[in-house]
Amino acid sequence: MSDGVFAVVGLFDNAQELLQAIPRVRARSLGRVEAYTPYPVHGIDAALGLRRSPLAGMVLVAGMIGAATALFFQWWMTAVDYPIVVGGKALFSWQAFVPIMFEVTVLFATFTAGLGMLFLMNRLPFFGHPLLSSKAIAAVTRDKFGLAIEAQGEAFDVEAAKTALTAAGATTLEVLPFQRELVPLQFMTRAAMGIFVSCVVAGYAMYWVIKLFPVLPPMVHMEDQPKLNPQKASAFFKDGHGMQLPVDGTVARGPLPYLIATQEEAAGLVNPLPRTHRVLQEGRTVYNQHCAVCHGLLGTGTPSLTSAYGAKPANLQGQTIRDYPDGKIYHVIMKGKNAMPSYAADLTEEERWAVVHYVRVLQRAQNARDEDFQ
Amino acid sequence: MQSEAVLLPEALQPPTLFEGPVTLGSLDDQVLQYPARKPPAAWYLAFAFTFTLMTLGFSFIGYTFYMGIGVWGNTSPVFWAFDIINFVFWVGIGHAGTLISAILLLFRSRWRNAIARFAEAMTIFAVMCAAIFPLIHVGRPWVTFWLFPYPNQRGLWTNFRSPLIWDVFAVSTYFSVSLMFWYLGLVPDLASLRDRTKSGIRRFFYTVFSLGWRGAASHWQHYERAYLLLAGLATGLVLSVHSVVSFDFAVSLVPGWHMTIFPPYFVTGAIFAGFAMVVMVLVVVRETMDLKNLITAYHLDVMNKIILAMSCLMGYAYLMEGFTAWYSMDQYLHHIFMQYISGTYGWAGWLTISCNVLIPQLLWSRRIRRSYVGMLFVSLAVTVGMWLERFVIIVVSLHQDYLPSSWHIYKPTLVDFGILFGTFGLFFTLVLLFARVLPVIATSEMKVILPGAQPAHAGGRHE
Amino acid sequence: MSPRPTLAWILAALGAVGVVAALFGASPERFWANWLLWFLFVLTIGLGSLFIVALGHLVGARWSVPIRRAPERLSGLVVLAAPMALIALLSLPVLYPWARPEGALHPAIAGKAPWLNVPFFAIRVVVCFALWGLAYRILVGGSMKQDQTRDPAFSVRARRFAPAFMVIFGLTITLVAFDWISSLEPEWYSDIFGVYLFAGTFLAGLGASALVVIYLVEHGRLPGVTNDHLYNLGGFMFAFTVFWSYIGFAQYLLMWYGNMPEEIFWYKQRIEGPWLNVVLLLAVVHFLVPFFALIPRGTKGDPRGLRWVAMLVLAAHFLDLYWLILPVVGTSPPLSWPEISFALCFLGLTLLWVDRAMRSGADMPVGDPLLQEGLEFRL
Repeated sequence: MSDGVFAVVGLFDNAQELLQAIPRVRARSLGRVEAYTPYPVHGIDAALGLRRSPLAGMVLVAGMIGAATALFFQWWMTAVDYPIVVGGKALFSWQAFVPIMFEVTVLFATFTAGLGMLFLMNRLPFFGHPLLSSKAIAAVTRDKFGLAIEAQGEAFDVEAAKTALTAAGATTLEVLPFQRELVPLQFMTRAAMGIFVSCVVAGYAMYWVIKLFPVLPPMVHMEDQPKLNPQKASAFFKDGHGMQLPVDGTVARGPLPYLIATQEEAAGLVNPLPRTHRVLQEGRTVYNQHCAVCHGLLGTGTPSLTSAYGAKPANLQGQTIRDYPDGKIYHVIMKGKNAMPSYAADLTEEERWAVVHYVRVLQRAQNARDEDFQ
Repeated sequence: MQSEAVLLPEALQPPTLFEGPVTLGSLDDQVLQYPARKPPAAWYLAFAFTFTLMTLGFSFIGYTFYMGIGVWGNTSPVFWAFDIINFVFWVGIGHAGTLISAILLLFRSRWRNAIARFAEAMTIFAVMCAAIFPLIHVGRPWVTFWLFPYPNQRGLWTNFRSPLIWDVFAVSTYFSVSLMFWYLGLVPDLASLRDRTKSGIRRFFYTVFSLGWRGAASHWQHYERAYLLLAGLATGLVLSVHSVVSFDFAVSLVPGWHMTIFPPYFVTGAIFAGFAMVVMVLVVVRETMDLKNLITAYHLDVMNKIILAMSCLMGYAYLMEGFTAWYSMDQYLHHIFMQYISGTYGWAGWLTISCNVLIPQLLWSRRIRRSYVGMLFVSLAVTVGMWLERFVIIVVSLHQDYLPSSWHIYKPTLVDFGILFGTFGLFFTLVLLFARVLPVIATSEMKVILPGAQPAHAGGRHE
Repeated sequence: MSPRPTLAWILAALGAVGVVAALFGASPERFWANWLLWFLFVLTIGLGSLFIVALGHLVGARWSVPIRRAPERLSGLVVLAAPMALIALLSLPVLYPWARPEGALHPAIAGKAPWLNVPFFAIRVVVCFALWGLAYRILVGGSMKQDQTRDPAFSVRARRFAPAFMVIFGLTITLVAFDWISSLEPEWYSDIFGVYLFAGTFLAGLGASALVVIYLVEHGRLPGVTNDHLYNLGGFMFAFTVFWSYIGFAQYLLMWYGNMPEEIFWYKQRIEGPWLNVVLLLAVVHFLVPFFALIPRGTKGDPRGLRWVAMLVLAAHFLDLYWLILPVVGTSPPLSWPEISFALCFLGLTLLWVDRAMRSGADMPVGDPLLQEGLEFRL
């Protein structure tokens, strides 16, 4: 029985001697036998009786999980959660999913192999192993081969172990004591605190960065673009306005603004439409749709509307309006008069002038002359 | 019974992987001295140069960030130019590292051990250079995180049918796997460094990053298994990553891009360009760090033979492209192919063929394979040729596609070139730092193949 | 694997009767499609084996030397394929639209006439066989001679010739793919097709070689060859199963994605209707089963497991060629007495040929200076 001893280590000069020593030492059954070499030596696994590494199976399973995961998440994202037809391809376009499936398979498999080997199989990182603070470690990572008998059971005895190793050909011996404190608590606490503080600081910093970053140039360059924007100032023009009136000589397309303010000014307007059957038909249709409701089918005003509404639509057959030039009637349509609103938005330019013609027709119809009947 | 190596004709001799006496201890002393020493003046000079180049490059990137992609030459219809050329170029350079460490491990070739560590490091640095481009070539670089499928308040997912998303997964997987592979390989060497360093901040870092490795046989067992599995997985990755990059082009309908041979063609080109870069860097390393006895003429010779083989495969691919361009009876493909060899960029097409297929044929000569001038000339030609090849594929196919009214001659700007050279600066800065801080040769892997390292069992050999 | 010659003779004779009957009883397309299928199957096994031999010389591998005689003997199948090729030339007007006068009416086909015409095609076939014959004489003939002379000069010569062979092989296998298979539908084109056929060819060579090696090992004719050698064969089979799947899928993905009428019709023929079952079966036997079967070390390095996988790999390659060629015959995968007759006849012939080849030279290349190193190989 040996208290406080972890193992006895013997050093050998080359791999051949080590390999020959292993069965001899194992035969003594003093404890678990471990070898330490600067590089992997062939045949040592069998000599030490090590079981086959399960990593290959783990990696295969992890790879298959990776493939299934990738297939599932691509299917779900593309065919279920946000289905969009791209390039005419089916929603579940498995062919397109294969490359990422492959990559994720390799990713899962690789991390299982690497991290599984380190954390699970070898239980690394581990800085507290007694060999790390011994004299032997420098030789073992350089050019010597170590064989250790670990103190595990009742059978272990330091002297017996030393004898066994020397008999097997070890050139140097060393006794490895147990580390009282495998990993200093103070170090652990300091490290944990450090990590915690860094996370908090980093989180806070990230919050502010994400908040401020998008409003810094050049991120805002797309918002503040050096071009003419509506209702924004512009240094390009002398008066500083972004919005300008059209220059002289601009050819108008579409409706022009109606700038005439009073009926008197409008008197000069001339009806551009000819008095054809088609125009008069159109005038009649438009008049019946828009104007007859107030002014009556004959232009005299509708009694029912007057009593209900209170206002009195103008009598188009009256002398005043019969004396109006066309322009004044047009002006009333454009701007409205008294209670009548503007009908500029309801009628096109052509419709307005057609209505003017039709009003004339109505007036003539009520005041027919004898020659009209011949 | 030993084979009569002495009676074999020279062509059949086993490879000379070591020159002069090398022991386990001398290997450590020779390779692990560098992380402990101050580097020579030449290193500082080189570092100053590459660091300046890198800073210039990053300044240009910052300028692009501020002003927008308009400062590049990209314009209709050549919407992809230097950005994607450089991306594909650097991802390709990375592939040689993975091939050397992973594929050659599966073949149990022994010559890989001297160069695997450096090649893997170059892979990681190359992928870092490559990853810059997808991030900066978008109109709003500050939202490139949208490329990752994360749950968001817009209710959107990325378009998994697009090869650009496949790229995101492929390149990030490639980077993480390469990093893991490289780091795991470093752990035993970091343990050696830890045990050679008496005290100080360096010892602290070696202790932490070596994870407490102690060379236990039970650990080596799992380690070897993991390493072999990683090698197998990384092999698949090499094929798939550059194939996914080629899919960026091949799934489209641009004439000259929609060719089924693109996946293996790109992979071959990647290995080709990568090996050329490895050869160039290793020549410098073995001279300046006095490692000629570990990285022998044999290593360079066999790498040059691989470059030659890849060059022949590239020739095959060009032949296939040319033949298919005619065979397809597709007028658009005909036109583009004629643009490859005549037209405004015809010079690039011819230069590509010369650099990639013709010049490497020099490597049939054993003398040239073993001469610095010869191999550096060929490797440089290959590097230029492979960059140009991506230029030809991308720019020429885009600048005159289906609609003649859209045709336009592409002209790169100073910013384009500045960023390209900046990435070279980044790459070589990282290489210099790596050589300064970490062991450039995997000593634990080298020890495995030293004569007498493995105990003889039943007369077995491992080749 | 290799049954007694009597059984093979009986099979071959029975099959031959059926083949002749098919010549008169079945439609010409069906007859010639079957002929083409078996011709290419035999040829690709032979070429794949020859490639394995040359690859060993190219990289200076030691482990493959003790088992090299198996692929060397199998590459003699290229010689068996030669008369099959000459007879297959008669199929041109039947199977190939460009060889018929009405081909000139389609602009897509007529434009290819400088390449796709009967005389030039025949010249290409003859040149390919001449080159393969030359390579066979240099690599295999020289190896057989080395058994007697024990002269290492052959190994040096083989090593020097190997790169040239690779160039020849790359170009000729591409020609086989483009000429014999893809020009069955001349509007279609795919520049990866040569690589695709290469992958299948290499696998066919590996499968056949593995079967021969396992047979010899089990009969004690390869003393010193261990499971470690078989493991490497299994490893290559695994790797190239993955490679074939990668190439096949890459071609499909690109054509599916582009969905261009001039490309996708080829796939539509082969994955719609009754042919869907064939392509699913192909994916299973050419990728899924060999991939998962070859993962465990137990299959790769154990003759019993490896034998089954090798047979499956060979059968899968046959199914691959069937799936590539037979759709030109009709919309339904043909499987009846003509196919069975052809199978009996040519399987029998192939077995007879291989059986004869197994008697040439020693079972191991005893004159090779690297043989001893090869036998000492351990993983």
